[in-house]
Amino acid sequence: MNILVACKIVPDDQDVKVAGDGSLDFSRAHKVVSTYDLNAIEAAAQIAAANDGSTVKAISVGPKKADDSKTKKNILARGVDELFLAADDALDGLDAFATAAELAKLAAKAGDWDVIVTGDGSADLYAKQTGVQLAAKLGVPFVSGVVSAEAADGKLVAKRLLESEEETVEVPLPAVVSVAPEFAEPRIAGMKDILAAGKKPMNVEGAEGAPAKAVEEVSVKAPAEVDRKKEMFDDVDAFAAAVKAAL
Amino acid sequence: MSKAFVIAETENGARELCAGARKLADEVVLVSVGAPVSGAADKSFHIDVPAGNIADDAYVTVNKIYDAEGGDVVLGEQTLRALSLVGRLAAKLGAAAITGVSAVEGGVATSMYFGGTGVREAKAAGDVAVYTFGPGVFDASEATGTDAVEEAAFEAPENAVAKTGSEALPPSDVNLAGADAIVACGRGFGAEEDLQLARDLAAKLGAELACSRPLAEGVDWFPREAYVGVSGAVVSPKVYVAVGISGQMQHMVGCNGADVIVAVNKDKNAPVFKACDYGFVGDLKTVLPALTAAL
Ligand SMILES: Cc1cc2nc3c(=O)[nH]c(=O)nc-3n(C[C@H](O)[C@H](O)[C@H](O)COP(=O)(O)OP(=O)(O)OC[C@H]3O[C@@H](n4cnc5c(N)ncnc54)[C@H](O)[C@@H]3O)c2cc1C
Ligand SMILES: Nc1ncnc2c1ncn2[C@@H]1O[C@H](COP(=O)(O)O)[C@@H](O)[C@H]1O
Repeated sequence: MNILVACKIVPDDQDVKVAGDGSLDFSRAHKVVSTYDLNAIEAAAQIAAANDGSTVKAISVGPKKADDSKTKKNILARGVDELFLAADDALDGLDAFATAAELAKLAAKAGDWDVIVTGDGSADLYAKQTGVQLAAKLGVPFVSGVVSAEAADGKLVAKRLLESEEETVEVPLPAVVSVAPEFAEPRIAGMKDILAAGKKPMNVEGAEGAPAKAVEEVSVKAPAEVDRKKEMFDDVDAFAAAVKAAL
Repeated sequence: MSKAFVIAETENGARELCAGARKLADEVVLVSVGAPVSGAADKSFHIDVPAGNIADDAYVTVNKIYDAEGGDVVLGEQTLRALSLVGRLAAKLGAAAITGVSAVEGGVATSMYFGGTGVREAKAAGDVAVYTFGPGVFDASEATGTDAVEEAAFEAPENAVAKTGSEALPPSDVNLAGADAIVACGRGFGAEEDLQLARDLAAKLGAELACSRPLAEGVDWFPREAYVGVSGAVVSPKVYVAVGISGQMQHMVGCNGADVIVAVNKDKNAPVFKACDYGFVGDLKTVLPALTAAL
Protein backbone atom coordinates (compact mmCIF):
# COMPACT_ATOMS: atom_id res chain seq x y z
CA MET A 1 0.00 0.00 0.00
CA ASN A 2 1.22 3.49 -0.81
CA ILE A 3 0.45 5.78 2.06
CA LEU A 4 0.80 9.53 2.32
CA VAL A 5 0.70 11.20 5.69
CA ALA A 6 0.00 14.93 6.02
CA CYS A 7 1.81 16.58 8.89
CA LYS A 8 2.01 20.22 9.81
CA ILE A 9 5.14 21.91 11.10
CA VAL A 10 4.21 24.52 13.71
CA PRO A 11 5.96 26.74 16.24
CA ASP A 12 6.25 25.16 19.67
CA ASP A 13 3.68 26.97 21.79
CA GLN A 14 5.93 26.49 24.83
CA ASP A 15 8.30 29.07 23.29
CA VAL A 16 5.68 31.72 22.57
CA LYS A 17 6.22 35.13 24.16
CA VAL A 18 3.62 37.80 24.78
CA ALA A 19 4.70 41.10 23.24
CA GLY A 20 4.13 44.45 24.94
CA ASP A 21 0.97 45.13 22.93
CA GLY A 22 -0.58 41.81 23.94
CA SER A 23 0.11 40.14 20.61
CA LEU A 24 1.86 36.76 20.48
CA ASP A 25 5.46 36.59 19.36
CA PHE A 26 6.28 33.31 17.63
CA SER A 27 9.52 34.56 16.08
CA ARG A 28 11.82 32.71 18.44
CA ALA A 29 9.78 29.55 18.77
CA HIS A 30 11.32 26.24 17.69
CA LYS A 31 9.61 24.38 14.90
CA VAL A 32 7.98 21.09 15.84
CA VAL A 33 5.65 18.57 14.25
CA SER A 34 2.08 19.34 15.31
CA THR A 35 1.34 17.11 18.33
CA TYR A 36 -1.33 14.82 16.94
CA ASP A 37 0.34 14.53 13.55
CA LEU A 38 2.98 12.44 15.32
CA ASN A 39 0.16 9.98 16.04
CA ALA A 40 -0.87 10.16 12.37
CA ILE A 41 2.68 9.35 11.27
CA GLU A 42 2.73 6.39 13.63
CA ALA A 43 -0.64 5.20 12.33
CA ALA A 44 0.66 5.40 8.75
CA ALA A 45 3.80 3.50 9.71
CA GLN A 46 1.76 0.79 11.42
CA ILE A 47 -0.60 0.36 8.47
CA ALA A 48 2.47 0.11 6.24
CA ALA A 49 4.11 -2.46 8.53
CA ALA A 50 0.98 -4.61 8.37
CA ASN A 51 1.00 -4.63 4.57
CA ASP A 52 4.13 -5.96 2.85
CA GLY A 53 5.69 -3.74 0.23
CA SER A 54 4.07 -0.56 1.53
CA THR A 55 5.62 2.90 1.38
CA VAL A 56 4.99 5.93 3.60
CA LYS A 57 5.62 9.44 2.31
CA ALA A 58 5.03 12.59 4.33
CA ILE A 59 3.56 15.75 2.79
CA SER A 60 3.70 19.11 4.50
CA VAL A 61 3.02 22.77 3.72
CA GLY A 62 4.39 25.66 5.72
CA PRO A 63 6.47 28.83 5.93
CA LYS A 64 10.15 29.01 4.99
CA LYS A 65 11.08 28.20 8.58
CA ALA A 66 9.35 24.82 8.28
CA ASP A 67 12.38 23.79 6.23
CA ASP A 68 14.17 22.89 9.43
CA SER A 69 16.72 20.11 9.39
CA LYS A 70 15.91 18.73 12.83
CA THR A 71 12.18 18.68 12.17
CA LYS A 72 12.56 17.05 8.77
CA LYS A 73 14.71 14.32 10.30
CA ASN A 74 12.21 13.92 13.12
CA ILE A 75 9.51 13.14 10.54
CA LEU A 76 11.70 10.74 8.56
CA ALA A 77 12.90 8.94 11.71
CA ARG A 78 9.40 7.59 12.36
CA GLY A 79 8.95 5.00 9.67
CA VAL A 80 8.54 7.54 6.85
CA ASP A 81 10.46 6.82 3.61
CA GLU A 82 10.37 10.17 1.88
CA LEU A 83 9.33 13.77 2.55
CA PHE A 84 7.61 16.29 0.26
CA LEU A 85 7.67 19.74 1.82
CA ALA A 86 6.49 23.02 0.33
CA ALA A 87 8.15 25.69 2.48
CA ASP A 88 7.59 29.30 1.56
CA ASP A 89 6.44 32.34 3.48
CA ALA A 90 3.64 32.66 0.93
CA LEU A 91 2.35 29.40 2.45
CA ASP A 92 2.33 30.59 6.06
CA GLY A 93 -0.91 30.56 8.03
CA LEU A 94 -3.08 29.07 5.29
CA ASP A 95 -6.69 28.13 5.94
CA ALA A 96 -7.98 24.62 5.31
CA PHE A 97 -9.14 25.37 1.75
CA ALA A 98 -5.78 26.75 0.66
CA THR A 99 -3.82 24.11 2.57
CA ALA A 100 -5.80 21.34 0.90
CA ALA A 101 -5.03 22.78 -2.52
CA GLU A 102 -1.29 22.84 -1.74
CA LEU A 103 -1.36 19.35 -0.22
CA ALA A 104 -3.10 18.06 -3.34
CA LYS A 105 -0.21 19.37 -5.44
CA LEU A 106 2.31 17.62 -3.22
CA ALA A 107 0.28 14.41 -3.38
CA ALA A 108 0.46 14.55 -7.16
CA LYS A 109 4.25 14.89 -6.95
CA ALA A 110 4.57 12.03 -4.48
CA GLY A 111 3.33 9.52 -7.08
CA ASP A 112 0.60 6.89 -6.82
CA TRP A 113 -1.10 6.66 -3.45
CA ASP A 114 -3.90 4.61 -1.94
CA VAL A 115 -4.61 6.52 1.23
CA ILE A 116 -3.76 9.89 2.73
CA VAL A 117 -3.65 9.89 6.51
CA THR A 118 -4.17 13.14 8.42
CA GLY A 119 -4.02 13.90 12.12
CA ASP A 120 -6.86 14.66 14.50
CA GLY A 121 -6.37 18.41 14.14
CA SER A 122 -3.51 20.88 13.92
CA ALA A 123 -2.01 22.32 17.12
CA ASP A 124 -2.64 25.93 16.09
CA LEU A 125 -6.07 25.89 14.44
CA TYR A 126 -7.40 22.51 15.57
CA ALA A 127 -10.04 22.95 12.88
CA LYS A 128 -10.40 19.29 11.82
CA GLN A 129 -11.11 20.59 8.33
CA THR A 130 -8.01 20.05 6.21
CA GLY A 131 -8.60 16.33 5.72
CA VAL A 132 -12.16 16.66 4.45
CA GLN A 133 -11.23 19.66 2.29
CA LEU A 134 -8.44 17.58 0.75
CA ALA A 135 -10.84 14.70 0.13
CA ALA A 136 -13.26 17.11 -1.56
CA LYS A 137 -10.46 18.56 -3.69
CA LEU A 138 -9.37 15.07 -4.76
CA GLY A 139 -12.92 13.72 -5.13
CA VAL A 140 -12.37 10.78 -2.78
CA PRO A 141 -14.10 9.46 0.36
CA PHE A 142 -13.30 10.79 3.81
CA VAL A 143 -13.72 9.44 7.30
CA SER A 144 -12.55 10.95 10.58
CA GLY A 145 -11.99 9.74 14.12
CA VAL A 146 -10.33 6.53 12.90
CA VAL A 147 -8.89 4.44 15.74
CA SER A 148 -7.96 1.30 13.78
CA ALA A 149 -7.68 0.33 10.13
CA GLU A 150 -6.93 -2.79 8.14
CA ALA A 151 -6.37 -2.99 4.42
CA ALA A 152 -8.60 -5.45 2.56
CA ASP A 153 -8.71 -5.64 -1.21
CA GLY A 154 -9.19 -2.13 -2.49
CA LYS A 155 -10.57 -0.82 0.74
CA LEU A 156 -9.78 0.02 4.30
CA VAL A 157 -11.83 -1.54 7.08
CA ALA A 158 -11.80 1.03 9.83
CA LYS A 159 -13.29 1.78 13.22
CA ARG A 160 -14.31 5.36 13.96
CA LEU A 161 -14.70 6.70 17.45
CA LEU A 162 -17.50 9.25 17.30
CA GLU A 163 -19.08 11.29 20.10
CA SER A 164 -21.44 8.59 21.30
CA GLU A 165 -20.78 5.51 19.21
CA GLU A 166 -18.12 3.48 17.52
CA GLU A 167 -18.80 2.96 13.84
CA THR A 168 -17.28 0.26 11.64
CA VAL A 169 -16.83 1.30 8.02
CA GLU A 170 -15.42 0.07 4.73
CA VAL A 171 -13.71 2.89 2.92
CA PRO A 172 -13.10 2.37 -0.80
CA LEU A 173 -9.60 3.47 -1.82
CA PRO A 174 -8.19 5.90 -2.70
CA ALA A 175 -9.38 7.90 0.30
CA VAL A 176 -8.40 10.41 2.97
CA VAL A 177 -8.69 9.29 6.57
CA SER A 178 -8.19 11.37 9.66
CA VAL A 179 -6.98 9.38 12.63
CA ALA A 180 -7.72 9.98 16.30
CA PRO A 181 -4.74 10.11 18.68
CA GLU A 182 -5.93 6.78 20.13
CA PHE A 183 -4.95 5.01 16.90
CA ALA A 184 -1.30 4.85 17.94
CA GLU A 185 1.09 6.44 20.39
CA PRO A 186 4.02 8.06 18.60
CA ARG A 187 7.25 6.09 18.81
CA ILE A 188 10.38 7.49 20.43
CA ALA A 189 12.84 7.81 17.56
CA GLY A 190 16.29 6.48 18.47
CA MET A 191 19.70 7.86 17.49
CA LYS A 192 19.99 5.26 14.73
CA ASP A 193 16.61 6.23 13.24
CA ILE A 194 17.56 9.91 13.26
CA LEU A 195 20.91 9.22 11.56
CA ALA A 196 19.19 7.09 8.93
CA ALA A 197 16.58 9.82 8.45
CA GLY A 198 19.26 12.25 7.33
CA LYS A 199 19.94 10.02 4.32
CA LYS A 200 16.32 9.69 3.19
CA PRO A 201 15.01 11.74 0.26
CA MET A 202 13.73 15.20 1.21
CA ASN A 203 11.99 17.13 -1.55
CA VAL A 204 11.71 20.75 -0.52
CA GLU A 205 10.28 23.39 -2.80
CA GLY A 206 8.97 26.93 -2.70
CA ALA A 207 5.51 28.16 -3.64
CA GLU A 208 4.38 28.73 -7.20
CA GLY A 209 2.56 31.82 -5.99
CA ALA A 210 0.64 33.04 -2.99
CA PRO A 211 -2.63 31.11 -2.74
CA ALA A 212 -5.79 33.17 -2.26
CA LYS A 213 -6.98 33.28 1.32
CA ALA A 214 -10.46 32.03 2.21
CA VAL A 215 -10.05 33.27 5.77
CA GLU A 216 -8.36 36.49 6.80
CA GLU A 217 -6.75 36.73 10.19
CA VAL A 218 -7.64 39.97 11.96
CA SER A 219 -5.62 39.58 15.15
CA VAL A 220 -4.02 37.07 17.50
CA LYS A 221 -3.65 38.14 21.10
CA ALA A 222 -2.72 36.62 24.41
CA PRO A 223 -5.81 35.63 26.40
CA ALA A 224 -6.94 37.79 29.29
CA GLU A 225 -5.09 36.60 32.38
CA VAL A 226 -7.09 35.10 35.20
CA ASP A 227 -5.96 36.57 38.51
CA ARG A 228 -4.63 33.87 40.81
CA LYS A 229 -3.02 34.09 44.23
CA LYS A 230 0.05 31.98 43.33
CA GLU A 231 0.69 31.20 46.99
CA MET A 232 3.28 28.47 47.54
CA PHE A 233 3.26 26.21 50.58
CA ASP A 234 5.89 23.98 52.09
CA ASP A 235 3.90 22.91 55.12
CA VAL A 236 1.26 20.29 54.40
CA ASP A 237 -0.99 21.34 57.30
CA ALA A 238 -1.11 24.94 56.15
CA PHE A 239 -1.68 23.71 52.58
CA ALA A 240 -4.54 21.47 53.75
CA ALA A 241 -6.08 24.33 55.72
CA ALA A 242 -6.03 26.59 52.64
CA VAL A 243 -7.66 23.88 50.51
CA LYS A 244 -10.30 23.27 53.16
CA ALA A 245 -11.12 26.95 53.45
CA ALA A 246 -11.74 27.12 49.72
CA LEU A 247 -14.43 24.45 49.75
CA MET B 1 -32.78 39.50 3.50
CA SER B 2 -29.83 37.59 4.83
CA LYS B 3 -29.99 33.85 5.26
CA ALA B 4 -28.27 31.39 7.56
CA PHE B 5 -27.72 27.77 6.62
CA VAL B 6 -27.38 25.45 9.63
CA ILE B 7 -25.85 21.97 9.47
CA ALA B 8 -26.45 19.85 12.56
CA GLU B 9 -26.31 16.28 13.75
CA THR B 10 -27.81 16.31 17.24
CA GLU B 11 -31.13 17.85 18.20
CA ASN B 12 -29.61 20.06 20.90
CA GLY B 13 -26.91 21.19 18.48
CA ALA B 14 -29.57 22.05 15.90
CA ARG B 15 -31.52 24.15 18.40
CA GLU B 16 -28.46 25.97 19.73
CA LEU B 17 -27.18 26.77 16.26
CA CYS B 18 -30.59 27.87 15.00
CA ALA B 19 -30.89 30.20 18.01
CA GLY B 20 -27.46 31.61 17.12
CA ALA B 21 -28.31 31.82 13.44
CA ARG B 22 -31.24 34.12 14.27
CA LYS B 23 -28.75 36.66 15.59
CA LEU B 24 -26.70 36.54 12.39
CA ALA B 25 -29.39 36.44 9.71
CA ASP B 26 -33.05 37.22 8.99
CA GLU B 27 -33.95 33.75 7.80
CA VAL B 28 -32.80 30.36 9.10
CA VAL B 29 -32.62 27.13 7.10
CA LEU B 30 -31.74 23.93 8.96
CA VAL B 31 -30.44 20.66 7.59
CA SER B 32 -30.25 17.85 10.09
CA VAL B 33 -28.69 14.42 9.53
CA GLY B 34 -29.74 13.08 12.93
CA ALA B 35 -33.28 13.25 14.23
CA PRO B 36 -35.82 15.51 12.47
CA VAL B 37 -35.94 18.83 14.34
CA SER B 38 -39.07 20.96 14.40
CA GLY B 39 -39.73 24.41 15.81
CA ALA B 40 -36.17 25.66 15.37
CA ALA B 41 -35.87 27.15 11.88
CA ASP B 42 -37.95 28.84 9.19
CA LYS B 43 -37.31 25.92 6.90
CA SER B 44 -36.23 22.57 8.26
CA PHE B 45 -34.84 19.66 6.24
CA HIS B 46 -34.12 16.18 7.46
CA ILE B 47 -31.92 13.65 5.70
CA ASP B 48 -32.62 10.07 6.69
CA VAL B 49 -29.26 8.34 6.32
CA PRO B 50 -29.67 4.67 5.29
CA ALA B 51 -28.30 2.11 7.75
CA GLY B 52 -25.51 1.10 5.37
CA ASN B 53 -24.23 4.63 4.81
CA ILE B 54 -22.39 7.18 6.91
CA ALA B 55 -23.92 10.56 7.69
CA ASP B 56 -20.70 12.21 6.45
CA ASP B 57 -21.66 11.08 2.94
CA ALA B 58 -24.92 13.04 3.11
CA TYR B 59 -22.87 15.89 1.67
CA VAL B 60 -24.26 15.35 -1.81
CA THR B 61 -27.75 16.06 -0.52
CA VAL B 62 -26.65 18.84 1.84
CA ASN B 63 -24.84 20.64 -0.97
CA LYS B 64 -27.90 20.30 -3.21
CA ILE B 65 -30.10 21.81 -0.53
CA TYR B 66 -27.61 24.64 -0.20
CA ASP B 67 -27.71 25.18 -3.97
CA ALA B 68 -31.48 25.50 -3.81
CA GLU B 69 -31.72 27.55 -0.63
CA GLY B 70 -28.47 29.51 -0.52
CA GLY B 71 -27.13 31.23 2.57
CA ASP B 72 -24.80 34.08 3.44
CA VAL B 73 -23.58 32.39 6.55
CA VAL B 74 -23.18 28.69 7.35
CA LEU B 75 -23.27 27.47 10.95
CA GLY B 76 -22.10 23.93 11.62
CA GLU B 77 -22.20 21.78 14.71
CA GLN B 78 -18.84 20.55 15.94
CA THR B 79 -19.43 16.81 15.86
CA LEU B 80 -17.16 14.74 13.65
CA ARG B 81 -19.93 13.93 11.18
CA ALA B 82 -21.19 17.50 10.93
CA LEU B 83 -17.59 18.70 10.53
CA SER B 84 -17.32 16.43 7.48
CA LEU B 85 -20.45 17.96 5.98
CA VAL B 86 -19.28 21.49 6.75
CA GLY B 87 -15.90 20.81 5.12
CA ARG B 88 -17.48 19.41 1.96
CA LEU B 89 -19.75 22.45 1.61
CA ALA B 90 -16.90 24.87 2.38
CA ALA B 91 -14.72 23.19 -0.26
CA LYS B 92 -17.48 23.61 -2.83
CA LEU B 93 -17.84 27.29 -1.91
CA GLY B 94 -14.10 27.94 -1.98
CA ALA B 95 -14.39 28.78 1.69
CA ALA B 96 -12.82 27.49 4.88
CA ALA B 97 -14.66 27.07 8.15
CA ILE B 98 -13.60 29.10 11.15
CA THR B 99 -14.03 26.52 13.90
CA GLY B 100 -14.48 26.58 17.65
CA VAL B 101 -16.08 29.99 17.42
CA SER B 102 -17.10 31.58 20.73
CA ALA B 103 -18.51 34.85 19.34
CA VAL B 104 -19.26 36.56 16.02
CA GLU B 105 -19.38 40.33 15.93
CA GLY B 106 -19.72 42.28 12.69
CA GLY B 107 -18.41 39.38 10.62
CA VAL B 108 -15.39 38.86 12.86
CA ALA B 109 -15.25 35.51 14.62
CA THR B 110 -13.36 34.85 17.85
CA SER B 111 -11.79 31.47 18.53
CA MET B 112 -8.84 29.96 20.35
CA TYR B 113 -5.39 29.69 18.85
CA PHE B 114 -3.00 26.94 19.97
CA GLY B 115 -5.66 25.66 22.32
CA GLY B 116 -5.92 28.84 24.36
CA THR B 117 -2.34 30.11 24.12
CA GLY B 118 -3.87 32.84 22.01
CA VAL B 119 -7.22 34.31 21.07
CA ARG B 120 -7.72 34.73 17.36
CA GLU B 121 -10.05 36.99 15.44
CA ALA B 122 -10.67 36.09 11.84
CA LYS B 123 -13.16 36.74 9.09
CA ALA B 124 -14.23 35.10 5.89
CA ALA B 125 -12.53 36.53 2.81
CA GLY B 126 -15.24 35.33 0.42
CA ASP B 127 -18.98 35.93 0.13
CA VAL B 128 -20.06 33.14 2.43
CA ALA B 129 -18.85 32.88 6.01
CA VAL B 130 -18.62 29.37 7.46
CA TYR B 131 -18.41 28.86 11.22
CA THR B 132 -18.62 25.91 13.55
CA PHE B 133 -19.53 26.05 17.22
CA GLY B 134 -19.07 23.70 20.13
CA PRO B 135 -21.92 23.13 22.56
CA GLY B 136 -23.07 25.91 24.86
CA VAL B 137 -22.30 29.00 22.78
CA PHE B 138 -25.98 29.67 22.12
CA ASP B 139 -29.12 28.99 24.13
CA ALA B 140 -31.15 26.12 22.62
CA SER B 141 -34.34 27.28 24.34
CA GLU B 142 -34.33 30.48 22.26
CA ALA B 143 -34.80 28.61 18.97
CA THR B 144 -38.10 29.25 17.20
CA GLY B 145 -39.53 28.23 13.87
CA THR B 146 -41.80 26.04 11.83
CA ASP B 147 -43.04 22.65 12.90
CA ALA B 148 -42.96 21.34 9.35
CA VAL B 149 -39.93 19.21 8.52
CA GLU B 150 -39.22 18.36 4.90
CA GLU B 151 -37.61 15.02 4.15
CA ALA B 152 -34.70 15.24 1.70
CA ALA B 153 -33.64 11.97 0.09
CA PHE B 154 -30.11 10.75 0.86
CA GLU B 155 -28.08 10.59 -2.31
CA ALA B 156 -24.95 8.46 -2.09
CA PRO B 157 -21.74 9.87 -3.55
CA GLU B 158 -19.67 7.85 -5.98
CA ASN B 159 -17.31 5.68 -3.90
CA ALA B 160 -19.61 5.85 -0.89
CA VAL B 161 -18.24 4.62 2.41
CA ALA B 162 -20.12 1.54 3.65
CA LYS B 163 -21.20 1.39 7.27
CA THR B 164 -21.07 -2.18 8.46
CA GLY B 165 -21.61 -1.79 12.16
CA SER B 166 -22.14 0.55 15.02
CA GLU B 167 -21.92 0.18 18.75
CA ALA B 168 -23.08 2.70 21.32
CA LEU B 169 -20.32 3.75 23.71
CA PRO B 170 -20.92 2.71 27.30
CA PRO B 171 -22.54 5.53 29.27
CA SER B 172 -20.02 7.16 31.56
CA ASP B 173 -20.59 7.92 35.23
CA VAL B 174 -18.37 11.01 35.09
CA ASN B 175 -20.22 14.07 36.33
CA LEU B 176 -17.95 17.09 36.28
CA ALA B 177 -20.57 19.68 35.36
CA GLY B 178 -22.14 20.02 38.79
CA ALA B 179 -19.10 19.18 40.94
CA ASP B 180 -18.06 21.53 43.75
CA ALA B 181 -14.60 20.00 43.93
CA ILE B 182 -12.52 18.21 41.31
CA VAL B 183 -9.25 16.33 41.67
CA ALA B 184 -7.57 16.13 38.28
CA CYS B 185 -4.76 13.68 37.51
CA GLY B 186 -2.02 14.19 34.94
CA ARG B 187 0.91 12.36 33.47
CA GLY B 188 2.74 12.82 36.75
CA PHE B 189 0.97 9.59 37.75
CA GLY B 190 3.48 7.02 36.61
CA ALA B 191 1.38 3.95 37.34
CA GLU B 192 -2.32 3.26 37.26
CA GLU B 193 -2.34 1.99 40.86
CA ASP B 194 -1.10 5.41 42.06
CA LEU B 195 -4.50 6.80 41.06
CA GLN B 196 -5.74 5.38 44.36
CA LEU B 197 -3.94 8.30 46.05
CA ALA B 198 -6.10 10.70 44.04
CA ARG B 199 -9.25 8.69 44.80
CA ASP B 200 -8.50 8.87 48.52
CA LEU B 201 -8.06 12.63 48.32
CA ALA B 202 -11.23 12.99 46.26
CA ALA B 203 -13.19 10.95 48.82
CA LYS B 204 -12.02 13.25 51.59
CA LEU B 205 -12.95 16.38 49.61
CA GLY B 206 -16.20 15.00 48.22
CA ALA B 207 -14.64 15.62 44.82
CA GLU B 208 -15.11 14.13 41.38
CA LEU B 209 -12.08 12.68 39.62
CA ALA B 210 -10.91 14.15 36.32
CA CYS B 211 -7.72 14.03 34.24
CA SER B 212 -5.59 15.60 31.53
CA ARG B 213 -6.06 14.43 27.95
CA PRO B 214 -3.12 12.00 27.81
CA LEU B 215 -4.64 9.91 30.63
CA ALA B 216 -7.86 9.45 28.67
CA GLU B 217 -6.45 8.58 25.31
CA GLY B 218 -2.77 7.65 25.35
CA VAL B 219 -3.43 5.27 28.17
CA ASP B 220 -7.10 4.66 28.89
CA TRP B 221 -7.10 5.08 32.64
CA PHE B 222 -10.06 7.42 32.35
CA PRO B 223 -13.10 7.64 30.04
CA ARG B 224 -12.98 10.46 27.47
CA GLU B 225 -15.65 12.39 29.38
CA ALA B 226 -13.20 12.82 32.27
CA TYR B 227 -10.57 14.93 30.56
CA VAL B 228 -10.62 18.65 31.06
CA GLY B 229 -9.47 21.19 28.51
CA VAL B 230 -9.98 22.91 25.22
CA SER B 231 -11.04 19.71 23.49
CA GLY B 232 -12.58 18.16 26.59
CA ALA B 233 -14.75 19.24 29.49
CA VAL B 234 -14.90 22.86 30.64
CA VAL B 235 -15.54 22.94 34.38
CA SER B 236 -16.13 25.55 37.06
CA PRO B 237 -15.98 23.98 40.52
CA LYS B 238 -15.19 25.83 43.74
CA VAL B 239 -11.91 23.96 44.04
CA TYR B 240 -9.84 22.32 41.29
CA VAL B 241 -6.86 20.30 42.44
CA ALA B 242 -4.41 19.63 39.60
CA VAL B 243 -2.03 16.82 40.49
CA GLY B 244 0.92 15.91 38.26
CA ILE B 245 -0.39 18.23 35.55
CA SER B 246 2.12 20.57 33.91
CA GLY B 247 -0.44 23.29 33.30
CA GLN B 248 -0.33 23.74 29.55
CA MET B 249 -2.91 26.12 28.14
CA GLN B 250 -4.83 23.36 26.35
CA HIS B 251 -5.62 21.97 29.79
CA MET B 252 -5.94 25.17 31.81
CA VAL B 253 -8.61 26.74 29.59
CA GLY B 254 -10.84 23.92 30.78
CA CYS B 255 -10.49 24.78 34.48
CA ASN B 256 -9.94 28.54 34.47
CA GLY B 257 -13.52 28.94 35.62
CA ALA B 258 -12.71 27.37 38.99
CA ASP B 259 -12.89 29.69 42.03
CA VAL B 260 -9.68 28.24 43.43
CA ILE B 261 -7.01 26.22 41.63
CA VAL B 262 -4.68 24.06 43.69
CA ALA B 263 -1.57 22.46 42.19
CA VAL B 264 0.75 19.68 43.24
CA ASN B 265 3.78 19.11 41.03
CA LYS B 266 7.31 17.96 41.63
CA ASP B 267 8.75 20.57 39.26
CA LYS B 268 8.79 24.03 40.84
CA ASN B 269 8.98 25.58 37.37
CA ALA B 270 5.86 23.84 36.07
CA PRO B 271 3.61 26.42 34.36
CA VAL B 272 0.70 25.29 36.52
CA PHE B 273 2.22 27.20 39.45
CA LYS B 274 1.76 30.45 37.53
CA ALA B 275 -1.92 29.69 37.07
CA CYS B 276 -2.89 28.46 40.54
CA ASP B 277 -3.93 29.93 43.87
CA TYR B 278 -2.26 27.40 46.15
CA GLY B 279 0.76 25.38 45.08
CA PHE B 280 2.85 22.65 46.65
CA VAL B 281 6.11 21.42 45.17
CA GLY B 282 6.67 17.75 45.79
CA ASP B 283 6.24 14.18 44.68
CA LEU B 284 2.55 13.35 44.52
CA LYS B 285 3.29 9.99 46.12
CA THR B 286 4.25 11.67 49.36
CA VAL B 287 2.23 14.89 49.12
CA LEU B 288 -1.17 13.32 48.40
CA PRO B 289 -1.25 10.92 51.38
CA ALA B 290 -0.04 13.72 53.67
CA LEU B 291 -2.63 16.15 52.32
CA THR B 292 -5.43 13.58 52.60
CA ALA B 293 -4.44 12.83 56.18
CA ALA B 294 -4.25 16.51 57.10
CA LEU B 295 -7.71 17.35 55.76
C1 LIG C 1 -4.93 20.48 19.65
C2 LIG C 1 -4.64 20.04 21.05
C3 LIG C 1 -5.68 19.93 21.95
C4 LIG C 1 -5.42 19.53 23.26
N1 LIG C 1 -6.46 19.45 24.15
C5 LIG C 1 -6.21 19.12 25.42
C6 LIG C 1 -7.25 19.09 26.41
O1 LIG C 1 -8.41 19.37 26.12
N2 LIG C 1 -6.94 18.73 27.68
C7 LIG C 1 -5.66 18.42 28.07
O2 LIG C 1 -5.44 18.10 29.25
N3 LIG C 1 -4.66 18.43 27.17
C8 LIG C 1 -4.91 18.77 25.87
N4 LIG C 1 -3.87 18.77 24.97
C9 LIG C 1 -2.55 18.29 25.40
C10 LIG C 1 -1.79 19.35 26.14
O3 LIG C 1 -1.12 20.16 25.20
C11 LIG C 1 -0.75 18.71 27.06
O4 LIG C 1 0.09 17.87 26.32
C12 LIG C 1 -1.36 17.91 28.19
O5 LIG C 1 -2.35 18.67 28.86
C13 LIG C 1 -0.30 17.51 29.17
O6 LIG C 1 -0.82 16.66 30.14
P1 LIG C 1 -0.13 16.54 31.54
O7 LIG C 1 0.02 17.87 32.18
O8 LIG C 1 -0.87 15.49 32.31
O9 LIG C 1 1.29 15.89 31.19
P2 LIG C 1 2.76 16.55 31.15
O10 LIG C 1 2.76 17.81 30.40
O11 LIG C 1 3.65 15.44 30.74
O12 LIG C 1 3.03 16.92 32.65
C14 LIG C 1 3.24 16.01 33.69
C15 LIG C 1 3.59 16.81 34.94
O13 LIG C 1 3.70 15.93 36.04
C16 LIG C 1 4.79 16.33 36.84
N5 LIG C 1 5.22 15.14 37.59
C17 LIG C 1 5.88 14.06 37.12
N6 LIG C 1 6.05 13.16 38.08
C18 LIG C 1 5.49 13.68 39.21
C19 LIG C 1 5.36 13.22 40.55
N7 LIG C 1 5.82 12.02 40.93
N8 LIG C 1 4.74 14.03 41.44
C20 LIG C 1 4.27 15.25 41.07
N9 LIG C 1 4.37 15.73 39.82
C21 LIG C 1 4.97 14.94 38.90
C22 LIG C 1 5.81 16.85 35.88
O14 LIG C 1 6.69 17.77 36.53
C23 LIG C 1 4.94 17.54 34.83
O15 LIG C 1 4.75 18.90 35.11
C24 LIG C 1 -4.10 19.19 23.66
C25 LIG C 1 -3.07 19.31 22.73
C26 LIG C 1 -3.32 19.73 21.45
C27 LIG C 1 -2.18 19.85 20.49
N1 LIG D 1 0.10 22.85 6.55
C1 LIG D 1 -0.15 21.55 6.63
N2 LIG D 1 0.72 20.65 6.13
C2 LIG D 1 0.48 19.32 6.22
N3 LIG D 1 -0.62 18.81 6.78
C3 LIG D 1 -1.53 19.64 7.30
C4 LIG D 1 -1.35 21.05 7.26
N4 LIG D 1 -2.42 21.62 7.86
C5 LIG D 1 -3.22 20.62 8.27
N5 LIG D 1 -2.70 19.42 7.94
C6 LIG D 1 -3.26 18.07 8.21
O1 LIG D 1 -4.64 18.19 8.43
C7 LIG D 1 -4.98 17.81 9.77
C8 LIG D 1 -6.09 18.68 10.28
O2 LIG D 1 -5.66 20.02 10.38
P1 LIG D 1 -6.67 21.20 10.75
O3 LIG D 1 -7.76 21.14 9.77
O4 LIG D 1 -5.84 22.45 10.66
O5 LIG D 1 -7.11 20.92 12.15
C9 LIG D 1 -3.67 17.90 10.54
O6 LIG D 1 -3.69 17.03 11.65
C10 LIG D 1 -2.66 17.48 9.48
O7 LIG D 1 -2.62 16.08 9.33
